[in-house]
Amino acid sequence: MLLELTGITKKYGDFFANKKIDFSLEENEIHAIVGENGAGKTTLMRMLYGMETPTEGSISVRGIKHKINNPNEAIKLGIGMVHQHFMLFPSFTIAENIVFHHEPKKGILYNRKKAEEEVAILAKKYGMNIDPSQLISDAPVGVQQRVEILKVLYQGADIIILDEPTAVLTPLEVKDLLISLRNLSKQGKSIILITHKLNEVMQVTDRVTVLRDGQVTGSLKTKETDTGHLSKLMVGRELAKKEKTEVKVGASILSIEHLNIIENSSKKKLLEDINFQVKAGEIVGIAGVSGNGQSELIAAITGLLQVNEGSIHLADIDITNLSVRQIREAGLAHIPEDRYLWGSAKTASVEDNLMMTEYRKKAFQKNGILHTNVIRKFAKETINKFSIKTTSQEESAQNLSGGNLQKLIAAREIQQNTPFLLAAEPTRGVDIGAMEFIHEQLLMKRNNGDGVLLISSELSEILSIADRVLVMFEGKIVGEFTQADVSDEKISLLMAGGKHEQG
Amino acid sequence: MNKVKNSASKMMQPLLAIVVGLIVGAIAMVLAGESVLNTYHEMWKGAFGNFYFFTSTLERSIPIILAGLGVAFAFRAGFFNLGAEGQLVLGAVTTAIVVVYLPFTGVIAIIIAIFSGMVIAGLWSFFAGWMEQRFQINLLISTLLLNYIAVLFAGYLVSEPFRDTSSAGGVPQSVMINDAVKLPALFEGTNLHMGFIFAVVATIILAFIIKRTTFGYEVRMLGQNRFFAQYGGINRKKVMFTSMLISGMLAGLGGGVEVLGMHYRFIEGALTTPQFAWTGLMAALLANSNPIGTAVMAIFLAALDTGSLGVERNTDVPNAISDIIQAVLIIFISARFTFTFLKLKKKEGKKHGKSI
Ligand SMILES: Nc1ncnc2c1ncn2[C@@H]1O[C@H](COP(=O)(O)OP(=O)(O)OP(=O)(O)O)[C@@H](O)[C@H]1O
Ligand SMILES: [Mg+2]
Repeated sequence: MLLELTGITKKYGDFFANKKIDFSLEENEIHAIVGENGAGKTTLMRMLYGMETPTEGSISVRGIKHKINNPNEAIKLGIGMVHQHFMLFPSFTIAENIVFHHEPKKGILYNRKKAEEEVAILAKKYGMNIDPSQLISDAPVGVQQRVEILKVLYQGADIIILDEPTAVLTPLEVKDLLISLRNLSKQGKSIILITHKLNEVMQVTDRVTVLRDGQVTGSLKTKETDTGHLSKLMVGRELAKKEKTEVKVGASILSIEHLNIIENSSKKKLLEDINFQVKAGEIVGIAGVSGNGQSELIAAITGLLQVNEGSIHLADIDITNLSVRQIREAGLAHIPEDRYLWGSAKTASVEDNLMMTEYRKKAFQKNGILHTNVIRKFAKETINKFSIKTTSQEESAQNLSGGNLQKLIAAREIQQNTPFLLAAEPTRGVDIGAMEFIHEQLLMKRNNGDGVLLISSELSEILSIADRVLVMFEGKIVGEFTQADVSDEKISLLMAGGKHEQG
Repeated sequence: MNKVKNSASKMMQPLLAIVVGLIVGAIAMVLAGESVLNTYHEMWKGAFGNFYFFTSTLERSIPIILAGLGVAFAFRAGFFNLGAEGQLVLGAVTTAIVVVYLPFTGVIAIIIAIFSGMVIAGLWSFFAGWMEQRFQINLLISTLLLNYIAVLFAGYLVSEPFRDTSSAGGVPQSVMINDAVKLPALFEGTNLHMGFIFAVVATIILAFIIKRTTFGYEVRMLGQNRFFAQYGGINRKKVMFTSMLISGMLAGLGGGVEVLGMHYRFIEGALTTPQFAWTGLMAALLANSNPIGTAVMAIFLAALDTGSLGVERNTDVPNAISDIIQAVLIIFISARFTFTFLKLKKKEGKKHGKSI
C-alpha cells in the first residue's frame, strides 16, 4: 500500500473535525473523497500534507510510519497538495511560480532559461498545455490550475492531493483536467481528488471514500456504486426532486438598457450594449464561460464599477452609478462571485460576517448603538436555519469550511427579503444537500414575486432553475432562451462563440 | 467557552513578548554582572514600590494611553497613523496658548482649551487622510513627515511669538498658566492629575464604540477586509476621515492634559524626548489595537520607564535596561508585522487566482 492513514482523529477544542478515519491509497490509483461541507475532507488532507497535526492516529507512506510536521516534510515524502484556493504569485511568470523554492541556478543566480525549459518539458510529459513565460495574472483560471498541479509535480510528488480543483473551472476546463488526471495516473502518479460533483467521481476515479460529520460512512470501488448511493451515504437521506411551480410573471424589477463599460487604459469594451430585464417572479440565468463580461456586469449592477453609458433601473429607481449603499437600499441583495475577496472578512466572526447587510436596519440598532442581544439571536437562528456548520457564532470565518462560508453568505443575502437578488455562483463549492437547499431558497424567492438574476458557470445549475437564460460571450449577450426551448447543446455552442440559429 | 479561549490566545502574544523581553533584560543584567532578582526588584519598587512611585507611573502613562488609543483606533479601520507625535505636540501647544489668551478662567476655560487642542490635532491627522484620498499620498509616509512640521512649528511658536520672556535663556517655553485652569491632582502631593480619568474614560468609550456601535462595526470591517466593506456599502472615505479625525483628537487630548495637569505650560521637547507617542504606538501594536489592552500595555511600558529610573538610582545598572527590554518588544512586533505583510502579499495573489 502506497499510503495508509489509520485511526486519524482531529479535535478543535471539543469539536471532532475528523474521528477515527481510516484511508488508503494504492499506486496509480485515483481515489475520491466526497462529503458534505464541513465533513472534514480538507482537514484530513491538511494533516496528510503536514499543515495540521492529528490529535490521534498514524500515517504511513510505503509501509513506514511518519510524523509529518510541515509541508516540506510532506514534499520530501512525495506528497503534494493543490489547495482549495490557489496560492500563486500573480506578478510572476508561470515558470517562476512552478520552480519557486527549487529554482535551477546558474552560480548563485536564478537561471530563467533553464527554468523555462524544465517547465516546458515537464508540461509536455504530462500533456498539459501552458506557456512558461506567461504571467500568472494573464492566465485564465484553468491554466492557473494546471500551474498548481505542475508545481506539485516539479517538487517531485507521487501522491497528489487536489482539493476541489474543479469548482472554479468551466465545463471545458473540467474535461481537460479529468483527462490530465487520467494521464497522471497512467504515468505512475496516485491522486486524491476531493469534489462535490459526483459525475466527476464516476468518470475518473477508481475508489471513493465518503465522509460525514468527520467519520467515514463508506469506502467503495467506483465501479460498484452510483451517484444515488453516494449521495445517500453523504447526506444520510435521498435527495428530493425539485418541483417548480408556475408563477405569474409581473412587472420589471431590474431593467438594463444600452449598458456599456469601457476599460480605462485600453479603451476595450468590457460590456457592449447590454439590454435585458428581470421581472417579478422570474429567475433569469446568465450562462457563459467565466471571463466573458459576467464579473463586469455584476460589478456594474451592484455599484462596484463605474458605468460609462446606458442605464440600470432597480424597482423603478435609476441606480446607474449610485453608491453601493444606495443601491442596496433600493432593493439589492448580492451573493458575490468571490467569497473571500468580496463576500466576507476572514478574520471577523461568523456573527460579524452575517451582520454586514443588516447592521443599519432598525431592528439591530438604535441611534447607532447595536442591539447585541437581538444580533446574537438573529445569528443563531440563521446558523440553524441554513445549517451552517460552525463551533460557535464567535468563531472567525476563516475556520469555516469553504462550503459553509458560502452558505453563510447565501443565507445573509437571501434572508434580506429584497425585491431583487443577484446570485453569482451561489453554490460554488457547496455540497449537494446545501445546493438543493440554496436552490430551493432561490425558487422560494421567485415564488414570492421577487426577481433573481443567476450568474453561473455551472450550466446544469442554470438549466435546472432558471426561467429564462441569456448567454454571454465577449461582453455581449449573444442569445436568449425560454425554459421551454433551452438545451445544453444550444447554450454550449453560443458560449463557445458559435452563432445562434434562429428557429 | 470558545470566546474565552480565543481572547486567551490573543493575549498570549503580548504576554510572550513581555516574558521574552524580561528574560533578555535578565541576560543583559547578568552580563553586566548584576543580580537579576535585585535589579528587577528595584525596577518593581521604582514603578509600583510606594504610593508616590505608583502614581508617577500612572501619570507617565496618560499621554502614552491617549496617543496609543489614537493609533489603535485608526489601525482598527485599517489606517496606519504614525503621526501621533505631531498630533500630541500640536494639541499641547494649542491648549497652552489658548488657555492663556482666554479672557476668563475656570472649568469652561479648561474645556475650551483642551477641546481646541483636540480639534487642531484632529485636523492635522485628518489632513493626512484627505491627502491620501485626494492625491493617493501614502498615509504611512505623510503622517510620519507631518510630525516634523508639527514639532518644529510648535517649537517655533514658543521660541518666538509665544515665548515666555520672563525667564531669560533656557528651553523655549510658553508662559505659565493660571492656577485656576490647572487640572487638579487626584491625590494630594502626587503628580497624578485629572488627565488620568480622561484617559480611562476615553479607553472605555473607545472600547464601547468599537464593539457596540454601527460606526465601530464599519471601522472593524473596513480594517479587516476593505473589499468586503465596500461590497456591503460602507463608505470608506467617511470612515477614514472620521477615524483619522478621532485618532488625532485622542493624541491631542493627551498633549492638552499634560500641559494643564503636569507642566502647566508648553515646554519644547517635554513631550517628544520621552517618546510618549512612539511608546503609545508600541502599546497599541502589542495589544493588537484593543483599547483596553492598549491602556494596560501603556501602563506597563510607563512602569518600565519609571522602574528603570529606580534601577538607576539604586543599582549600578544603567536605565538603558528599559531600552533593551523595549527593543525586544519592537522585534516581536516587527516579526508579527512582517508575517502579516507576507500573508497579505499572498492574499493579493489570491485576488487574481480566483478563490473557490
Ligand atoms: N482551525 C479550525 N478551528 C476550528 N474549527 C475548524 C478549524 N478548521 C476547520 N474547522 C472545522 O472543521 C470542520 C471540517 O472542516 P473542513 O474544512 O475539513 O471541511 P470540508 O469537508 O473540507 O468542507 P468543504 O466541502 O466545505 O470544503 C468544519 O466544521 C470547520 O468549521
Ligand atoms: Mg474543504
